[in-house]
Amino acid sequence: MKQTEILVVGGGPAGLCAASAAAELGADVLILERDSKPGGQLVKQTHKFFGSKKQYAGDRGIQIGDFLLEQVESNPKVEVWPDATCLGIYEDGVVTAEKDDKHIKIKPERIIIATGAAEKALMFPNNDLPGIYGAGAVQTLMNVAGVVPGKRVLMVGAGNIGLIVSYQLLQAGVEVAAVIEAAPHIGGYLVHASKIRRAGVPILTSHTVKEAYGNDTLEGAIICRLDEKWQPIPGTEQDIKADVMCLAVGLSPLTELCWQAGCKMKYIAELSGHVPVRNEYLETTRPGLYVAGDVSGVEEASSAMVEGRLAGISAALSLGYGKDKAPQLQAEALAELKELRSGPTGEKIMNGIMKLLGKEGAAC
Amino acid sequence: MQKTANTVIIGGGMIGCAMAYELALRGMKDIVVVEKEYLCSGATGRCGAGVRQQWGTETNAILARDSVKRFEQMNEELEYDKDIEFKQGGYLLCAYTEAEWTQFHKNVELQKRLGIPVELVTPEGAREIVPHLNIDGLYGATFCGTDGHANPFHVVDAYAKAARRLGVVFETYTEVTGIKVENGKVKGVETTRGDIATPLVINAANYAAGLICKMVGFDLPLYPQRHQALVTEPVEPMQGPMVISFSRRLYCQQTPHGSFIMGVGDPHEPKDFNINSSWEFLEDVSRQVISVLPILKNIRLVRQWSGLYDMSPDANPILDQVPEVEGMWVLAGFSGHGFMVGPQTAVLVAQKITGEECFMPIERFSLDRFRRGELLLEPSVV
Ligand SMILES: Cc1cc2nc3c(=O)[nH]c(=O)nc-3n(C[C@H](O)[C@H](O)[C@H](O)COP(=O)(O)OP(=O)(O)OC[C@H]3O[C@@H](n4cnc5c(N)ncnc54)[C@H](O)[C@@H]3O)c2cc1C
Ligand SMILES: Cc1cc2nc3c(=O)[nH]c(=O)nc-3n(C[C@H](O)[C@H](O)[C@H](O)COP(=O)(O)OP(=O)(O)OC[C@H]3O[C@@H](n4cnc5c(N)ncnc54)[C@H](O)[C@@H]3O)c2cc1C
Repeated sequence: MKQTEILVVGGGPAGLCAASAAAELGADVLILERDSKPGGQLVKQTHKFFGSKKQYAGDRGIQIGDFLLEQVESNPKVEVWPDATCLGIYEDGVVTAEKDDKHIKIKPERIIIATGAAEKALMFPNNDLPGIYGAGAVQTLMNVAGVVPGKRVLMVGAGNIGLIVSYQLLQAGVEVAAVIEAAPHIGGYLVHASKIRRAGVPILTSHTVKEAYGNDTLEGAIICRLDEKWQPIPGTEQDIKADVMCLAVGLSPLTELCWQAGCKMKYIAELSGHVPVRNEYLETTRPGLYVAGDVSGVEEASSAMVEGRLAGISAALSLGYGKDKAPQLQAEALAELKELRSGPTGEKIMNGIMKLLGKEGAAC
Repeated sequence: MQKTANTVIIGGGMIGCAMAYELALRGMKDIVVVEKEYLCSGATGRCGAGVRQQWGTETNAILARDSVKRFEQMNEELEYDKDIEFKQGGYLLCAYTEAEWTQFHKNVELQKRLGIPVELVTPEGAREIVPHLNIDGLYGATFCGTDGHANPFHVVDAYAKAARRLGVVFETYTEVTGIKVENGKVKGVETTRGDIATPLVINAANYAAGLICKMVGFDLPLYPQRHQALVTEPVEPMQGPMVISFSRRLYCQQTPHGSFIMGVGDPHEPKDFNINSSWEFLEDVSRQVISVLPILKNIRLVRQWSGLYDMSPDANPILDQVPEVEGMWVLAGFSGHGFMVGPQTAVLVAQKITGEECFMPIERFSLDRFRRGELLLEPSVV
């Protein structure tokens, strides 16, 4: 059985930052990443990031990912296992993983779950036709594998993911028939929306997919308008021809391991679904088990990195590392999170976190 | 929730739902099934769903034999709008030890006497039935072609829908917290959603049956025991029968859609209510299954889970009234085979309760047998 002080599950921005922070304080860390290249969502994000300089705004996601990976790889206290999928966290504290076709057992003293989120699907007739993808999956296909998904795309969802992936499809020479959005307004940043509009792609708000059609693969979809109560308005159907449909309708936290580990879970709409109940320092109700990043509530890479750092410091401190420095570092991370969440989208997240901490209505 | 009922059935698993249907079918009105979570959330939804007639005691064998006839007709009889997926691919019981082989000869004699179409087969014969079976060290096997397995979710759904059509009410997410007894007679049940006055309570709470009996001060001779199982990815159909080896503690079936479901019993399992899964189980079952069915070596696992057996001292069910509490029935102690005997168990108890003639003497399942020391010791359990 493999022993380690801190086991980090997931090598995205949250997991990599958690590993660095804990190792810098002196703890031994092992990272499990199921993909062959750590970096999480960042490995496919060719666009420049927004936000504060401290979280690498202005850099491209992919560069940030490489930088975070170099940081952990240069630290001898961190061991990175790519192509290693965490399978389970058992009641005796043993964590199992699949690596090189083997069932590996690991006995860590602390666990940080940073598994990110999964794309949501949408219910409509024929939603299982080949040609219907998650938008994030298409982004991976294009930017990591270098493959375009098809010729003409219908994008469903006008949040940042829908908008960015639409733009990247256009850059790759793929036609985007339309971006449709069920809400009455565009959810993503206006800069992204304007770029797409300038390229001649209509963004139709208050619209949804009624059904998809096609013989063996997708050939098109019937879309329709929604009234104020989100009900389809008869007679507003339009037929959009497309061989690809991308669903960018949100993410849900990838919490299976938290459920299995017996963490207390709570449904918080603001955090995009069921998330583990945890304290300010990101420790869940299972002692010694921490969470960070999208798994604890879908947000952004910037906050995922800071949460990762906070969880890493807290886990290391609980093992007795960095007693002098750690409290200061924790306070800094908490202050950064507060700052990141001070905007209008941050307000929603803060409300969600307050509900999670059982401090509804408290000033934040 | 209603305040009174003719009968309250505790537990919405195979036994509770079949019981509700059989009583309603016999004209009983105003039946309520009270289930702590959702239908099939207990052992039934977690079981291997095997249906075999190859038992070592006459009691188990008769209940199973007659239940097979019910499973064969179930879609029609219960007018089910889906399919219970009863696949009669048989059961192949493998003897890898001499002691098993001797016992199997005795079992087959009993089963044949009861008209169960079973045969003793040589190792080569066994391999003809399951081509990927490891016959190294195999003494022989027994095979019954009308054994099989069904989908427990559909079976319970079929019973529950049929019962509802006959007026039975199901109260889910409702936990029984107490039983009211006055002058030695049941008066009602207390639940987390209110009380129901009733003269008849049927305790079909499986592993929790002992806890329910404690509510009326009776100590049921049962203990709960965790059993784990897993399901693999679906692959091409290759295995007709359920394969069992008692000495290797293993059972393994392939479902109609191609995935394998298997489990092993653990002799060191503590007697408690724990239903967490363990990683040791995965390694144990892998070793055992590969020793019997080596072809499964590289198959991928999709999910593991566990559930509780309600172990009785002789691995035969207890179908009886609780002493000195009139109107309190208990149907428990199925010891890991309550799914397959469920249909006829419910018929037998319903016949008794409604005053019909019973198709077999129900007294054989009485609590009294433990006091008298006349146990129906069942040798053939995983
Ligand atoms: C198109 C798009 C654009 C975005 N743009 C921005 C932006 O401009 N600015 C910004 O701040 N944020 C942006 N984000 C959001 C940001 O990418 C995420 O919030 C961030 O990546 C979350 O980090 P994470 O580490 O929590 O999860 P992830 O990045 O998802 O990493 C999780 C990692 O865990 C691994 N994993 C999961 N389960 C297991 C397991 N069982 N075993 C082993 N490994 C496992 C995964 O393979 C993955 O590598 C964008 C997201 C998308 C999809
Ligand atoms: C891993 C495994 C494999 C098995 N394989 C087989 C097999 O191959 N073949 C076979 O025939 N059998 C098998 N069994 C056994 C079989 O599952 C059971 O014998 C059968 O399902 C029992 O049915 P039941 O209705 O008595 O119990 P259950 O399905 O457990 O139903 C009892 C119900 O009572 C409810 N309950 C408990 N307490 C309360 C309360 N206080 N108030 C209200 N409700 C309450 C529970 O929530 C539960 O839903 C297996 C069991 C396990 C665990």
